[in-house]
Amino acid sequence: MSQPAALREPAPRTDVPAPDLLAQLQDLTCNLQNALDRFRLDSRLTRLAEKEVPDARERLQHVLKLTDQAAHRTLDLVEQSCPPADRTAKEAAALAEPWSRFRAGTITVADYCDLITRVDKFLLASRTDSEKVRANLNEVLLAQDYQDLTGQIIRGVMTLVSEVEVVLVDLARLAGANGGNHGPTAEELARGTGPVVPGVEQGAAVVNGQVDIDALLSDLGI
Amino acid sequence: MSKDMKFLVVDDYSTMRRIVKNLLHDLGYANVTEADDGKTALPLLQNGSFDFLITDWNMPGMPGLDLLKAVRSNDKLKKLPVLMLTAEAKREQIVEAAQAGVSGYVIKPFTAVTLKEKIDKILGAQAA
Repeated sequence: MSQPAALREPAPRTDVPAPDLLAQLQDLTCNLQNALDRFRLDSRLTRLAEKEVPDARERLQHVLKLTDQAAHRTLDLVEQSCPPADRTAKEAAALAEPWSRFRAGTITVADYCDLITRVDKFLLASRTDSEKVRANLNEVLLAQDYQDLTGQIIRGVMTLVSEVEVVLVDLARLAGANGGNHGPTAEELARGTGPVVPGVEQGAAVVNGQVDIDALLSDLGI
Repeated sequence: MSKDMKFLVVDDYSTMRRIVKNLLHDLGYANVTEADDGKTALPLLQNGSFDFLITDWNMPGMPGLDLLKAVRSNDKLKKLPVLMLTAEAKREQIVEAAQAGVSGYVIKPFTAVTLKEKIDKILGAQAA
């Protein structure tokens, strides 16, 4: 005859793990999580390093080319506009003296005839020259269209830089790196660090325009 | 000072060289030669008879500060007026340029008036 269920020895419970097993399981889960994190980070890093950063370099190279072309185009047009503008100013100045004699009624007949011929030529030449300058100014205007294209490319690269930043911060966190804000070394300063960017470099270490530089140089006896 | 003075403009960006050259032409200085960094500028300076050097700082090859030091340590060139025309704006750098013997310092972006003022000032001090 069997014993009643209440009098029997309780069966050992199998759903409660031993404390050391629990710790091992926690370690395993933690390692798995870390491995998954690293894997995710690795694949993001690989994609960034192999594809997107080189692409961004090419895009920025294109920006350099476009800005360089636009600057040279603008300079060409300005240089082409200077001679006609100078010519007009010079001839207008040269005509002022005989013209004032004509207005005062003191001009000779020979000078008057000469003045009429010169004014005729001047009117024709100044019209042609002004039209040339005006056309060049229109071209200068059009040469600024690079800004639209380069702006779009730079914005795309900025998005990528933000993504790289996130990945690097994650990587630094995984590696347990300690952040530090180091300024440029003496060697970097000697080679030059480029223009000051508002919001990036400010404070007492950087001069605030030409007036500040002049004051500093004056203090140094220059 | 004579408008026949020979200028050497050193900058790695050809657009900036053209801008400076045009501004110098406007000031009446027509004799302007260009170089794209200190390495190419130094032999030009040693073999030519330049009266004025305008140089950028941040250039590949030889930066402007090294060019300035090379000029000041060369017997033939040591008295050459050197105007630094640069975007470098750290106080530490300006002090270093001053210690290296720079004659004037113009920060980019600059105006035609500032460039003229600094050139005039340097030439005035030289003539005095």
